[in-house]
Amino acid sequence: MMLIVFAAITLALVLDYLGLRRLAIASLSACFVLATVLFVWEVYSPEYGLRMPWLQGALEAIAKGA
Amino acid sequence: MLASDELLGTSRKDRALAFLNYLYFVAVIGVVSAILITAMVMQYAFGEIPCPLCLLQRVALFGICFGVIANFRSGFSYRNTGLTLLFAVLLLLIAARQTLLDIYPRPGHEYIGTAVLGLHMPVWSVIIAVTIIGAYALKLAVLGGDEELTDIRIEAFPSLGHIARWLGLTVIVLALINTASVAVQCGFAQCHTMGYQLLQ
Repeated sequence: MMLIVFAAITLALVLDYLGLRRLAIASLSACFVLATVLFVWEVYSPEYGLRMPWLQGALEAIAKGA
Repeated sequence: MLASDELLGTSRKDRALAFLNYLYFVAVIGVVSAILITAMVMQYAFGEIPCPLCLLQRVALFGICFGVIANFRSGFSYRNTGLTLLFAVLLLLIAARQTLLDIYPRPGHEYIGTAVLGLHMPVWSVIIAVTIIGAYALKLAVLGGDEELTDIRIEAFPSLGHIARWLGLTVIVLALINTASVAVQCGFAQCHTMGYQLLQ
């Protein structure tokens, strides 16, 4: 997946250099969508989902201390 | 020079503003290229294999360059600026999330790689993204819109145009090297920082 994201951004840059503007924008859009999907997939945890309980835990500890 | 500018309907002030705008764009590509080259030196010379989120930050940096290079190649357009800002926001999201992942050290989650001036890559990426978005906001607040750029293309400033052309080509070469590098590191599978998949 990462390889496809990199290939898409490189293709967008090359197509724009060659003057193929519409194809470049299409490739860039595909790259943006794939990169966003890959980002969410990378940070998703089966245990926590998209939450960050280690930060919440720290806040709870502060609240308990206060 | 002034007379010919007035004949073309552009004032000296517009020309100065256009020059400053193009100088800003050239500086953006120059700085982003320098950051990408530094990351690649850390990877190839010091063996610091990039994590998946680090690679996605590189993609966002290339996306930022796309909008700026397009302004040089096909003339100024707010669409290009929009693309640059979209990728700057993507960079900020990815970098902020990675910073929050590693900010509270626990097994398997600590900043990887060498700190530069005491800050690790994701923290630098947050600063870079905020600087790009903030600088553009400041430019709009102080200088207003970029209307003068539609009348005055970068060809009006030959030396700046020359630098922009070379920086644009540099970004394309960097993207090609990074794509080849990702192919060796990850193949078509998930990326890891343990080693290069195709070299094992």
